[in-house]
Amino acid sequence: MDMVFPKATISEIIGLLEAVNDAGGIEDAARLAADFDLELDEILPSIDGAELLGFVSVNNGNIELTQDARKLLDAGIRERKKIMRDKVAGVHIIKELKEKLMKSQEHRMSKSETLRFLQKRISTSDIESYFRIIINWARHAGLLHYNSDHEEICLMADV
Amino acid sequence: MLVEIRNVSKTYESEATKIQVLDSINFSVEDNDFVCIVGPSGCGKSTLLRIIVGLEKPTSGEVIFKGKNSNPKVAMVFQNFALFPWLSVKENIELVLESLHQQEKEREAIACKYIKAVGLDGFERAYPGELSGGMKQRVGFARALAVEPVLLCMDEPFSSLDALTAQNLKDELLLLWGDPNMPPDAVIMVTHNVEEAVYLANRIIILSQRPGKIIADLRIELERPRNRKDPEFYRWVDKVYSLIV
Repeated sequence: MDMVFPKATISEIIGLLEAVNDAGGIEDAARLAADFDLELDEILPSIDGAELLGFVSVNNGNIELTQDARKLLDAGIRERKKIMRDKVAGVHIIKELKEKLMKSQEHRMSKSETLRFLQKRISTSDIESYFRIIINWARHAGLLHYNSDHEEICLMADV
Repeated sequence: MLVEIRNVSKTYESEATKIQVLDSINFSVEDNDFVCIVGPSGCGKSTLLRIIVGLEKPTSGEVIFKGKNSNPKVAMVFQNFALFPWLSVKENIELVLESLHQQEKEREAIACKYIKAVGLDGFERAYPGELSGGMKQRVGFARALAVEPVLLCMDEPFSSLDALTAQNLKDELLLLWGDPNMPPDAVIMVTHNVEEAVYLANRIIILSQRPGKIIADLRIELERPRNRKDPEFYRWVDKVYSLIV
């Protein structure tokens, strides 16, 4: 099944939430882009990422913060990390990857196997950059570890 | 008084030319000051920061820390992160602790404490090449905080980042700054971005064109958390701009 995954980092997504919060919790996407001197298509991945994680709802070009986003923004760095962990753990492709790792030997998978896994789900000619984004989301959330010396991912011990 | 910059001037000389970049800079920084130094490009603001940190010597004048010439714990955050690409996140931080702590275990514990403080846990063994710009600068913050500095100096720490990431890191910096359990006692940050200075600082020092002289030293009387959409915020931004131009 082909899907779209937002090419945005966790930092960009939280930066977007902060900007919407400054605007009173709801803001027009085009105005938000203009505020940052960006083109609309440059902030779209961050909007999509925020929506995927349940931090905003998007209606007619307006981006509105959810209660979870307000909770995140009111929290300190450690608490933000916990909220993010729960959200990232609920993302479909990351859940699937985690399930596959649970079934793998020693809960490990090579990078090439992971790339094949992602390629089957994401329609792109640049699967490497999606690998980087998805692994960084999962690492940030404390779900996965990536060893670049051995080019393999593994489940974090307490997951 | 934490640090006092006394009559600092700097002139670069070669056989043919003599360029004065700083002219008689005087100011002092107290505990809890978050000072931003702003000014037109080439006004010597980064040179001033390098002199305060001790990376350059002034041509005349001196920098006094708590009444002494000796440099207490001062840490620096760089625009381009300045990480060793062949060392992991944890190793980059442990490296700066080698001269301060003999025991490897102690270095490891301190590195882990500050990796956690900036929300980088999970990336301890990552190499800089695996990290986004925002993550790299978090390593820069963790490395600077790990020496538990009295004074933290930052040279354009957000200008290499995309706009949204920079937004996020500024807020995280303020969360760290607002945490009484975190060093430092004071911050001096150089930036060319006036909005950024008004957002972060409780004091802004404005330098003139080269040779840089102090033309204003303002207390920013805006409550925190600050809102960039607030008209009062914009009045301060306008005020600082009007003094620079």
